[in-house]
Amino acid sequence: MNTNLRHIALIWTIPVLLGIALAAGSTWPGTVDSAPAVKEAAKGPVQKWVKVSVELPASQTPFPPGDGAVIANAQCLICHSAGMVLRQPPLTQDEWVGEINKMRNAYGAPLAADQIDGLAKYLRSINDGQSSKGPSAMDGQGG
Amino acid sequence: MQRPLFPPLPLSRRRFLAGVSRLGLTGLLGASAWDAVAADLVEFPFVNGRRELATNFPQKGAMILQRTRPPLLETPFEVFDQGVFTPNDRFYVRWHLANIPTEIDPATFRLTIRGHVGQSIQLTLDELVRNFEPFEIAAVNQCSGNSRGFFNPRVPGGEWANGAMGNALWRGVRLKDVLDRAGVKAGALQVRFNGLDTGVVPQTPDFMKSLDIDHARDGEVMIAYAMNGALLPLLNGFPLRLVVPGWYATYWVKMLNDIEVLDKPDDNFWMTKAYLIPDTPFANIVPGQKDVKMVPINRMLPRSFFTNVKDGAVLKVGQTTIVRGIAFGGDAALAKVLFSADSDGDWHEARLGPDHGKYSFRQWEVPLRLSSPGSHPLRIKAVNVAGSVQPDRVNWNGAGFMRNVIESVAVQAA
Repeated sequence: MNTNLRHIALIWTIPVLLGIALAAGSTWPGTVDSAPAVKEAAKGPVQKWVKVSVELPASQTPFPPGDGAVIANAQCLICHSAGMVLRQPPLTQDEWVGEINKMRNAYGAPLAADQIDGLAKYLRSINDGQSSKGPSAMDGQGG
Repeated sequence: MQRPLFPPLPLSRRRFLAGVSRLGLTGLLGASAWDAVAADLVEFPFVNGRRELATNFPQKGAMILQRTRPPLLETPFEVFDQGVFTPNDRFYVRWHLANIPTEIDPATFRLTIRGHVGQSIQLTLDELVRNFEPFEIAAVNQCSGNSRGFFNPRVPGGEWANGAMGNALWRGVRLKDVLDRAGVKAGALQVRFNGLDTGVVPQTPDFMKSLDIDHARDGEVMIAYAMNGALLPLLNGFPLRLVVPGWYATYWVKMLNDIEVLDKPDDNFWMTKAYLIPDTPFANIVPGQKDVKMVPINRMLPRSFFTNVKDGAVLKVGQTTIVRGIAFGGDAALAKVLFSADSDGDWHEARLGPDHGKYSFRQWEVPLRLSSPGSHPLRIKAVNVAGSVQPDRVNWNGAGFMRNVIESVAVQAA
């Protein structure tokens, strides 16, 4: 069990009757002026809102060594970890240029224009597999 | 072979227990590239398909790691064989922007409704729960790019297999009721939804999505404060998430804290530059095709999956096996699920499990007896009540959205 769960807000109580919920006042639905809503809510599980505090894991995976790794580690990791980049299908260098430009133009990556080609070459080299294929089919939108 | 074999459900709620009996098979039949190649690795059947299983995300069990920050976590497919509702701790996770609050205090959280309304309002969580009629609906939440890794030619993006989806019983309040409390003014066109997450650099467009006003007020779109009887895991949007039944998950804004009624069409990045699909049947185009009208992604298509057999499964000749899976109708109720065990287009209707509503997963099963040894192609396809049928030719587009081709597995009879 994750230690974070100690801080987490999932407090379970058994379903209680409407009357008990009204009397207690501290559990949903509690004391309410909207009787039909209370009656309906009381049919479901009764829960209590509690502060949630969790810790999200940090990525332990930097970009692999190579010309361009310094740029990738300095720039790409500002907004996202390396994992999804390393799990891409083999893209051509031009397609990587397209991805990098999307990051610059659509998402505001502070990457200098003269870094684009070097970074694209590096990303292609670490994600190799099919350097020559047909014309690019991707449409380059976000999402 | 008459006894029902729908597996037990994760929920103890009594109305889900009807018609459920014990699991008839243990685990998935078949050994293939889909199997875990080690205890903590999964190999998807596409290039660069090796993935780690992560167990260190809060409120989550073992999940397939696509990206750590911001998290992209896929549901291991065997989870879908375990019940019609996807457990919260195995429900897939997809965030766009890395500034995700990790601490949320329900005492200070507010949901704001503003814009083209009679009076802006701010609601506490208790007010939302207490002052509005509760509403419940079972609905599939599916990433627009679910199954993107299977696209051929491949396209960049989150390289998911089929596990970027889940089904839950959502509980909360109708969006319509909340909008009515603020009073939508004449001339309202759309409603825009924003959550607490933001980009790391200020230039990154904040993630916001919009629905047309009539859709927003249809009485089905809702604000959920619970899923499967529990509060939402933080990574699934605690404390509030928009639920848009029948529509792709991009609209299901997580950590929802701001609702703005617009009197003009939303021109924000995430509606006009991202999540666009070709305005064609099944969003299908030929790779490289240009000059296609693009529109915001919207309604889901029907899909069906095998959950207890995989490529390479070995079945005994002459022995009956229950083959089963899940299906959903997309934006309309499932009408039927058809099964084929040959390549001649001979389709048979599968038996369907309990019906949890038009937007829910529904289990299907077929007793299968193969009389001749060798390889047999098994196919499954869903048909919804609006007449939409899963296509037997793969649909493709440049963003990797809306895959819904008929699924098939090749089993061996021996």
